[in-house]
Amino acid sequence: MNTNGYKTSFFLASRSIMRGSRGSLYLTVLIIAMVFINMIFMPSIIMGFIKTYEDQFIAYDIGNILVSPKTDDQYIEDIDGLIERLNSVPGVFRAAGHYSTGATLRYKGNTLGTTINAIKPNDERLVTNIHKRIKDGDYLGEGETGQIIMGIQVSGHRDKAEDMGPTLGYVSSGDSVTVDFTNGVSRELRIKGIIETGSYTTDQGVYITWDEMESVLGHPITEGSYVIIKTDPGVHEDTVKTQIYRFGIAEKVQTWEDILKEAMGRAIADFAMLNSITIIVSLIIAVVILFIVIMIKTLSSRRQIGVLKAIGLDKGIIVFNYVFQVLIMTTLGIILGIIVLEAMVAILTAYPFQFSDGSVTPVVTTADLVNNTVLLYGAGFFAGYIPAWRVASEDIMTAMRA
Amino acid sequence: MIEVFNLSRFYQMGHVTVRALNGVTFTIKKGQFIGITGASGSGKSTLLHLLGLLDRQTEGTIKIGGVDVSTLSDHERTLYRLKKLGYVFQDYALVPELTVEENVFLTSIVRGMKQTEYMQRTDEILKRIGLFDRKTHKQSELSGGQQQRVSIARAIVNGPEILYADEPCANLDSESSKTVLDLFKQINQEMGQTIVMVSHEDWHLQYFDRVITLRDGGIIRDGIP
Ligand SMILES: Nc1ncnc2c1ncn2[C@@H]1O[C@H](COP(=O)(O)OP(=O)(O)OP(=O)(O)O)[C@@H](O)[C@H]1O
Ligand SMILES: [Mg+2]
Repeated sequence: MNTNGYKTSFFLASRSIMRGSRGSLYLTVLIIAMVFINMIFMPSIIMGFIKTYEDQFIAYDIGNILVSPKTDDQYIEDIDGLIERLNSVPGVFRAAGHYSTGATLRYKGNTLGTTINAIKPNDERLVTNIHKRIKDGDYLGEGETGQIIMGIQVSGHRDKAEDMGPTLGYVSSGDSVTVDFTNGVSRELRIKGIIETGSYTTDQGVYITWDEMESVLGHPITEGSYVIIKTDPGVHEDTVKTQIYRFGIAEKVQTWEDILKEAMGRAIADFAMLNSITIIVSLIIAVVILFIVIMIKTLSSRRQIGVLKAIGLDKGIIVFNYVFQVLIMTTLGIILGIIVLEAMVAILTAYPFQFSDGSVTPVVTTADLVNNTVLLYGAGFFAGYIPAWRVASEDIMTAMRA
Repeated sequence: MIEVFNLSRFYQMGHVTVRALNGVTFTIKKGQFIGITGASGSGKSTLLHLLGLLDRQTEGTIKIGGVDVSTLSDHERTLYRLKKLGYVFQDYALVPELTVEENVFLTSIVRGMKQTEYMQRTDEILKRIGLFDRKTHKQSELSGGQQQRVSIARAIVNGPEILYADEPCANLDSESSKTVLDLFKQINQEMGQTIVMVSHEDWHLQYFDRVITLRDGGIIRDGIP
C-alpha cells in the first residue's frame, strides 16, 4: 500500500471516530484508559514500596556503602586507621565505625535480648539520618557516658497495640534501663532519646557511645564490627566502591544495591513476575475488547466494505481504516489514562499509603509510560488488524450482498 | 470499446446449476447510453457485475479498450475500477460518516490527487448536480433523490470510461427518478459519458440510445427502444 492508501485509511478512520457512535467510542476509550492504568498502577505501588525500603535502608541503616570484615574475620582491625583512610577516598563524604555486641535489657520485669551498637555520634550524624528522628529526648552526644538511645520497637509504645514485637513495655527518655553485657558487666543506663523512623528494622536499634562501650569492656576499642559510609551527593556508589578498593582496602566493600540485591533478589524477581502477569492480563483484556469492537464494526459494515472495494479502495486501505481507528482510540485511552494516573500519583503523594515499614507513594517513571504505551499500541494494532483483515478479505459480491 | 463474447456466469446450488447468464455476445461503443432490461431474475445484475469487474465469469471474455480484463489480478482489477469505472448502486451506498463532498472526493485521495485540485473538481460536480449548497451535509440529512445524485457525482468525478448503474431509481418516487434520469442523460450528452444502466421500468426506455433485453440469462432483443 502506498502513502495515498494510508492517507485514505486515516481520513476514513478519523471521520468514523468523529462522526460515529459516541457511546461506544467513550466506552472503548474508557476501557483502554483503565487497562493502561492497571498496567502501570500496581507496579508503581510495588516500585514505591521498594523505593521506600531502599531510601530507609540508606538513610538509617548503612548509608551508601558498607565496609565489613573479610569473610573469615569477626572484626575489622585498626578501625580508626581504616576510617581515616576511607575519609580520604574521593567521593566519600564521611565514614562511621560501629562496634556491635549482644546485651540484655531489663526494665520493670521486662527483659529483651538485643544487639547494642557503639557509635561515635559526631561521625554518625554525618552518615545516617537517625539523629533527625528522635521523637522523645535527644541524640547521643560525643564522648558522653551513662546514656543509651533506642528505637521505639524496643522501648515500646504507650499504646501496646502499636508494638510489633516484644518490647520493654513503654519506657521513655529519662527512664533508666539495666543493660547486661555479654562479658558479664551490668550497667544502669539513662535513656536519652527514643528513635522513631517508621522502618521496623531501624526502630529496633539500640545505641551507646564508643566511650561507654570502652568503659564496659575496660579497655580502648581498636577494632570494629563494620563501617558505614555516606558518599558525596551525585556520586555513583559503584565508582566510590572501586576507588575504595584502589586505595588498597582489603575489607569487604558493598554498596547498598549489592546488599539489597543479595537480600531481596528473590523478592524483586517475584515482584517483577507479578508485574509481568499484571501487564499480560491487561494486554489480553485490551486485545479482546478492541478485537470485539472492530469485529462488530466490520461485520456490521460488510456491505459498506464491499462498496468501498467496488469503487476502487483496496483491501489494505479498508484494513488500515480499522487499524487507525483502534490506534486513535488507543491514543485517546492512553491520554485519559495518563491524566488519571497523574492525578492518582498526586493524591497518593499528598496522602501516601501507610505500611508497617513507612509510607509508600507510587513511583511512575517515564520509561514505564513509554514501554506500556508501546505495548498497548502493539496489542491494539493486532486487535484491529486481524478482524478487519478477515472481513476485508471477503469477496466483493459476497460482501455487497450482505 | 466493450466487447463481450459468449459471456456466462453459472452458480452451483447443490446439484443444480443456475445459469444466471448464458453465453451473451455484444459490443458497446463509446458514448452510448445503454439500458439493460428484463424480468426479475433474468440476469441483469449478473451481467453488470461482470462488466464492472466486480465478479468473474464462468465462461467467455470481456474486453474493455482491447484489454481482456479476466487476465487482470485482483489488485489490478481494483486499480482498474478506481481509474476507469464508475458505479451507482440502487441503495446509493454512500459512506454515512462522510459529508456530501467527502463522499465525492474519497476516491480522489486514493488516486493521490492534490487537495486543491479535487476540491475544485468536487465543487464543480456538486454545482452540476445542484447540491453545492449541501456539500457539508451528511447523508442522513438528504432525500433519497439527493443521495442518489451524490452517488452519481462520486461515480463521475474523475471522469470514468464507463459508468454502471444498477436500478438507480428503484428506491425513488417518480419525480426524483425523473431528476436522476435527467441527470444521467445530461452527463451522457454533455460529457459524452458511456453509461450502462439496468432498469425494468418501461418509461425509462425513452432515455436510452439502445436497449438490451434479457430473459433467462440470454439476450432476446438488442436495439433502439
Ligand atoms: N450468488 C448467487 N447464487 C446463486 N444464484 C444466484 C446468485 N446471484 C444471482 N443468482 C441467480 O441468478 C439469476 C439472475 O440473477 P440477477 O440478480 O442477475 O437477476 P436480475 O435480473 O438482476 O433480477 P432483479 O431484477 O430481481 O434484480 C437469478 O435466478 C438468481 O437467483
Ligand atoms: Mg438485479
